[in-house]
Amino acid sequence: MTDGAKGDWYTMRVAAISLAGLPVNQLSDYAAALTGLLDRLQVRLAVLPAHTSFFLCAAGGHVGETADFVESYRRFMQQSSEWNKRFLATHSDLARSSGIYLVAGTTVEQADGLFYHTAYCFGPDGEICCRQRQTHLTREERSLGLSRGVELHLFDMDGTKAGLIVGVDALHPEVARIFALQGADLIAHTGALLAGASVRLQPAGMWAQVQQNQFWAVESQLRGSICSRAFGGDCAVIGPCEVTPGSTGYLDRQDAERPFAAAELVEADRSRIRSEYPLLRLLHLDAYRVLPQLYMQDARPDSCNRPLACDMEGD
Amino acid sequence: MALDGWKERLFRRYLYWLCRPARLRRRLTALIGEGGPVHTSVPLPDGGRLRVAALQVKVKLSKDPLDYASEVHRMVREAASAGAQLAVFPEYNNIQLLGMLPGVEEMSRAISDGGSSEERREERGNRREGSSRPAVTVADVIRYVGPVMSQFLSVLYSTLAAAYRVHVMAGSFLLPDGEGVVNRAYLYGPDGRLIGTQDKVHLMPVEMDWGLSAGTEFHLFETGVGRVAAPVCMDATFYETFRILELMGAEVVMIPIANPEPYNYWLALRGIWPRVQECPVYGIKSALVGSALGFAFTGRAGVFAPVELTPDGSGVLAEVASAEEEGVAVAEIDLHALREFRLNHPWRDSNPELYVRYFPSVYQA
Repeated sequence: MTDGAKGDWYTMRVAAISLAGLPVNQLSDYAAALTGLLDRLQVRLAVLPAHTSFFLCAAGGHVGETADFVESYRRFMQQSSEWNKRFLATHSDLARSSGIYLVAGTTVEQADGLFYHTAYCFGPDGEICCRQRQTHLTREERSLGLSRGVELHLFDMDGTKAGLIVGVDALHPEVARIFALQGADLIAHTGALLAGASVRLQPAGMWAQVQQNQFWAVESQLRGSICSRAFGGDCAVIGPCEVTPGSTGYLDRQDAERPFAAAELVEADRSRIRSEYPLLRLLHLDAYRVLPQLYMQDARPDSCNRPLACDMEGD
Repeated sequence: MALDGWKERLFRRYLYWLCRPARLRRRLTALIGEGGPVHTSVPLPDGGRLRVAALQVKVKLSKDPLDYASEVHRMVREAASAGAQLAVFPEYNNIQLLGMLPGVEEMSRAISDGGSSEERREERGNRREGSSRPAVTVADVIRYVGPVMSQFLSVLYSTLAAAYRVHVMAGSFLLPDGEGVVNRAYLYGPDGRLIGTQDKVHLMPVEMDWGLSAGTEFHLFETGVGRVAAPVCMDATFYETFRILELMGAEVVMIPIANPEPYNYWLALRGIWPRVQECPVYGIKSALVGSALGFAFTGRAGVFAPVELTPDGSGVLAEVASAEEEGVAVAEIDLHALREFRLNHPWRDSNPELYVRYFPSVYQA
């Protein structure tokens, strides 16, 4: 738990939870099991993975009988507004009853006729303290008709500046850089990497973003299957290599015995390395002056220079 | 300017004599003539496939520059023998020539800004306040010997590239440029002509202390081995380097490194590997290893690719096994496969509205 003192010297215990092993067929059973786990972990911040809402909805049999992930997701999108009332209320209660910050993973948010892949964080009072839309989409997400968010939100967590990074935004370093340059101390990442080859990409995500931005990251990855699609990333608590055992960059990682990762963040350690090796001060802004023009002229085959909902018609 | 007394001027004339092109060419003719070039006409890529060699060079100070030339020749020949059409040398690939200077090992303290970390910080602080300045800085040494090295290196790498008909990224050299000193990478074509250069953009703090000047832009070169770039070492720590080059059209990004710390897998992972995943390109890392001038360099040269383009999904096509010894990592890369992969990339996306909203204000902040 946070010791209450701020500045460079606070500590905070955090956890990333994969959902593996939790009962998910009934929301009430899930909530009871998660409450028990949170009681054991004694953390101030817990992070759940991407697709938590869809996972619970599908496991509960609310999207009908289909083994096809994409078809199932389309159905979920259509009923997400109704389902979200239960999903969000459940996690609001969990955050309040446990007295913690809880990143509830992601759900589909409908707004102004558009669909977004959105993460929610609840404060210890059960109120939403951050809602973050995914800003970069996979090819499949574009084909499903999701739209990109265009804002990144920092929020206060007991004096810590925190942000949420959703899904493949972790693999787009612009997102982490914007957060870092706005002063983010901690990023909660809610992810869902496919089992198999995609898992090899994981270090290029939050781990790499932590190393080039020197914030903390609490990375939750979904473990389990939804409609025959298996997810297999590892939960982790990540810091700059220099402040972690063996310089691995990991304070803790999930293993076969534990479907979660939990660790104590010692801000003094991070502050020290940021002072000795001030990476962000070594940015060379003059050399980046071409970037805005390059972004706008982006000729990559999959580039999208149009604003919101540019791929609604799919690929 | 320091090092400008009559003794120094006289000694520099001796260095010019030692490094004279005619002497170097005679040696190279003899070396290349021993059995002739292995591949006098290595074919340029057909169908987008080519072989590349990431060289791991063990640093050895050379009192006679021809010893250095022989070592470089041996490695180019080895790369060409393996069928490589592009050979990539490491960062600081001219410090071996500082061995020509008498007492260079004693100069280590000046080079490494020696002493404890605390002493170094104190000295930097004093220097910034103008209260103390070393009699001779690294930049002074490079300004003194640089013109001699510059001519020698140009003849050496140009001749070898042409002789073996390979593209040679000669690594980066510490060299004078006007009043400044830069860490500059050089790329030669198979006809021996200089294709282009790239100054290191992101300097390490110690390089700033040495008085180096940073580059201010990234360059892309259209070559017979694809659209290539050669940012230097620390440039790979920052995603902006690779994003700029990717958006300019880069397909192969070479990163020469000289990492002065004990090897650690995770620390090494902070460079080229994630950059290659973020911005799908092929990456070639060349490494300087061994001890010289008060530094112990480590690293593992290798050829890297997006995980989807590597058979085992590791993102590594070839890598030298040792982090301390000489080696060569050779791999085949496929530019057509890269272009195809980019066309059908499963997760890559862009969001200009987001970037315009936040950049460049967050950079300025």
